[in-house]
Amino acid sequence: MQTADYARAKRARARNLKLWLAFLLAPPAFILIVFVFLPMASAVLYSLYDWDGLVRKEFVGLDNFADILFNPNKNSILFNAFWNNVKVFTSLMVIQNGLALVLALLLARNPRGYRFYQVVFFVPVILSTVIIGFQWKLFLNPVFGLVNKALHYAGLSDWALPWLGLPETALPAMLLVNSWHWFGFPTLVFLAAIHRIPKDFIEAARLDGASEWRIAREIIWPLMAPAVTIIVVLTFIGSFNWFEIPYIMNGLEGSPQGSTDMLGLLFYRTAFGSVSAGGSDFGAGSALAVLMFIFIFIFSVIATKYLTSREVELS
Amino acid sequence: MEKKRNAGLETWLMHIFLVGTALAVLYPIFMMVMSGFKTNAEIFGAPFALPKSFNFDNYIVIWNTTDVPRYLLNSTIVTLISVFVLLITGTMAAYAISRYRFRGSIMVSLFFLAGLMLPLRLAIIPLFVQLKAMGLVDNLLGLIFIYTAMSLPSTVFILTGFLRALPGELEDSARMDGASELRIMVQIMVPLITPAMVIAGIYNAVPIWNDFFFPLIFIQTPENKTLAQGLTSFFGEYSVNFGVLYAGLTLAALPLVVVFIVQSKRFIAGMTAGAIK
Amino acid sequence: MANIELRDVNKQFGDVKVIKDVNLAVEDNEFVVFVGPSGCGKSTLLRLIAGLEDLTTGEIHIDGERIDHLAPASRGLAMVFQSYALYPHFTVAQNMGYALRVAREDKASIDKKVYEAAEILQLTEYLDRKPKALSGGQRQRVAIGRAIVRNPKVFLFDEPLSNLDAKLRVAMRIELTKLHRALNATMIYVTHDQIEAMTMADKIVVLRDGIVEQIGAPLDLYNTPDNRFVAGFIGSPAMNFFKGKVSGVHEGGAEITLSDGTLINFPGKNGTLSVGDNVEFGVRPEHFSIEPGADGSLRGEVYAVERLGGETYIYLSSDSQKEIVVHATGDHRVAVGDRVEIGFTIAQSYLFGPDGQSVR
Ligand SMILES: Nc1ncnc2c1ncn2[C@@H]1O[C@H](COP(=O)(O)OP(=O)(O)OP(=O)(O)O)[C@@H](O)[C@H]1O
Ligand SMILES: [Mg+2]
Repeated sequence: MQTADYARAKRARARNLKLWLAFLLAPPAFILIVFVFLPMASAVLYSLYDWDGLVRKEFVGLDNFADILFNPNKNSILFNAFWNNVKVFTSLMVIQNGLALVLALLLARNPRGYRFYQVVFFVPVILSTVIIGFQWKLFLNPVFGLVNKALHYAGLSDWALPWLGLPETALPAMLLVNSWHWFGFPTLVFLAAIHRIPKDFIEAARLDGASEWRIAREIIWPLMAPAVTIIVVLTFIGSFNWFEIPYIMNGLEGSPQGSTDMLGLLFYRTAFGSVSAGGSDFGAGSALAVLMFIFIFIFSVIATKYLTSREVELS
Repeated sequence: MEKKRNAGLETWLMHIFLVGTALAVLYPIFMMVMSGFKTNAEIFGAPFALPKSFNFDNYIVIWNTTDVPRYLLNSTIVTLISVFVLLITGTMAAYAISRYRFRGSIMVSLFFLAGLMLPLRLAIIPLFVQLKAMGLVDNLLGLIFIYTAMSLPSTVFILTGFLRALPGELEDSARMDGASELRIMVQIMVPLITPAMVIAGIYNAVPIWNDFFFPLIFIQTPENKTLAQGLTSFFGEYSVNFGVLYAGLTLAALPLVVVFIVQSKRFIAGMTAGAIK
Repeated sequence: MANIELRDVNKQFGDVKVIKDVNLAVEDNEFVVFVGPSGCGKSTLLRLIAGLEDLTTGEIHIDGERIDHLAPASRGLAMVFQSYALYPHFTVAQNMGYALRVAREDKASIDKKVYEAAEILQLTEYLDRKPKALSGGQRQRVAIGRAIVRNPKVFLFDEPLSNLDAKLRVAMRIELTKLHRALNATMIYVTHDQIEAMTMADKIVVLRDGIVEQIGAPLDLYNTPDNRFVAGFIGSPAMNFFKGKVSGVHEGGAEITLSDGTLINFPGKNGTLSVGDNVEFGVRPEHFSIEPGADGSLRGEVYAVERLGGETYIYLSSDSQKEIVVHATGDHRVAVGDRVEIGFTIAQSYLFGPDGQSVR
């Protein structure tokens, strides 16, 4: 064999390795490009055009964005929906994640029935939002629903309200349903974070005579910061993409009187048409999607940065 | 003394709170299941009583006269195939990223991780146009592709972590034994990360099974609907027969709950995998 | 069964040169040990031979045939890894037979070979166990068994004993030497433990920073190290070094002045030295005597004594030397705080020039 033959044999081996890597990477990369990256990039493109149904018309620059943000007939709907999303986020932070934090702190003390509670709290999490939405829609039915029936039996007939029919109660009711659905998730994430804190820290504090409240506030809370960061960001993303519960419980229009309207519903109506929004408008819909993406992305980055900066390194 | 009684009270409050929360979770589910055995008259007349008889009339109605069985089948097909394809392609990508040094490997892993940040829902319009052009609208295959693509980043992320942790000498040893790269991957390395694959599988299977949004937009004909989406049409049809509705919800919830109860540890580990470092 | 030849072997990771111009010949049946400090490239060199890393430049030949373009398994080598690298989901028998299964040998012959290897290593009763259920020593033997089963031309070992406790390590050392004789195979063995190197090797290759510092039989390295590095690396406790200057060069010798003023005459040794050169004078701890020496003496104050009964380690310090270690046989009546004089002979001492090379 000549020296060149050895070099060739080596190159062949290197080439085979490259082919093998290409074989491994090509299928997943193809799927991801075609079904995620391409559509995401197209969304930006679409938002710059005028659309007639499925047909793309002329290039209109940022007109679609201007229309959404500054057309007085439309932007009040947008701002109302946006404001509702803000309410959803803040309320869920307090109700859902607050409850989760309390439960996690309690479970961290390893009470009797620890496993049982873990499993039970997680059951709603694995259930479909559709099931939960319908289930509670049935429970909240003004006449036949179990909630009002229970109030009647308790002698509180005056309290029996058409919960989903009143602008004041519809959103709170949905938020409670959402919290019922999801609280198990942050609970177990927080709990896992607490379990990661070295036992010595907590025991040393206990030996020093610190109260449980003090331990929770001054040791556990700062050390579980990474989990808090993740939950805040996930809650934020979930809140501003909120769609299923309001859609299932009160329909596409965010009734009553727009009190449960959300950006997700508005996006759907704009994109695919509805009674109030008229025919489908892919241009405006895409523009709205781009705005939502930018907003969610920027907030997530800022929140992650800010929250991470207060995380303490365990060393 | 004072202190001790105080601690006792605290413990009691804790138990009351935990039991209360557990009841708040379980009682509605219990009522849903019970109501599924009731007639309309029972639901209106004695909503909190146990059903008069545990007969399966409502279920028989569902089984014989609705498309719910079909929806169940479709959801099963879509979830199983998506997760299957997902685990295979996800393992391939994760394996290439984590076990080989090659030029651009950092770019490739960033490419896959970038998918974690992209909410695909917001790209639903182009996705719709694209799937329409590919003939994948109103087609389970379209859903399978979307779910696979959507879940790939998290799968690659989870599996890369586990694959990186495997010792390199294992791979070298198999190489010395004459195994091909494919064989090393399939026979030596991948069997060692099956627990991670279960976690990644569950992490994605649950949201896929429960998803409502994509079928809502992509599926129109009843025989192609998935369970979560099909329930909405079912609720439209049977809006006055509460017993049947409750039975339908129970039936829809059943498969996942049963699997969950049997495999709760894995489910919890799997579902929280993305959020726990 | 096989000789190996490395010609101008170089290996680079990115811009970092890890192996530099290594030339080496391993004879048939030889037990060769690569030693050197951590990170010097021992494993890399072994992996280059194995084919687990590609050469940057150079050639490797086995039995006169060039093999560096071949895949690892086609080179006729077997390797035992530091972590043993047993496949955790296979039983001992499956682990040992894997290479044969990959090579599509028939089941009966695989079973036979596995059983034979297991007998040599006393593993027959563990064949159906998973590695998790074995002790460290047993795992080690399975790893060796996996290599034996393949009946390779050359065995490669990468620090195979470093995960064992001290006692087991000594036992395995002896077992491996026996195995080497029984199998009549060429073996290359990597370690950073110079005792392993001294006791097992036919030939030692001392590496530093990817460069071969010296190749030779263990006692040759001990007696005639090529340079200061090898002198310091081989032997335990390490050789004592004393800084000094050349104060005179004459026909057939040199005169050295140590930093404490001691004058030493080296008859017959001057190499390329010239007056004023910085040199180092080396004496092994075991070559000092605790009395004035025939060719000269050094002084110091005892700050620690370790008495092991049969031998004594005495630690001295002086103004110009932080530590001098003396290894004496038997017990000695020195106490901490004593000022003592220790003697050396020119025949058992070394001189290293400004470039670190031995002056001959
Ligand atoms: N894959 C790699 N990429 C980059 N550098 C590497 C790689 N493998 C080894 N090196 C570097 O090459 C040098 C030699 O490494 P090697 O593992 O051969 O050392 P060693 O002599 O076996 O050390 P030890 O006794 O610690 O095992 C080290 O500096 C190491 O950092
Ligand atoms: Mg090494």
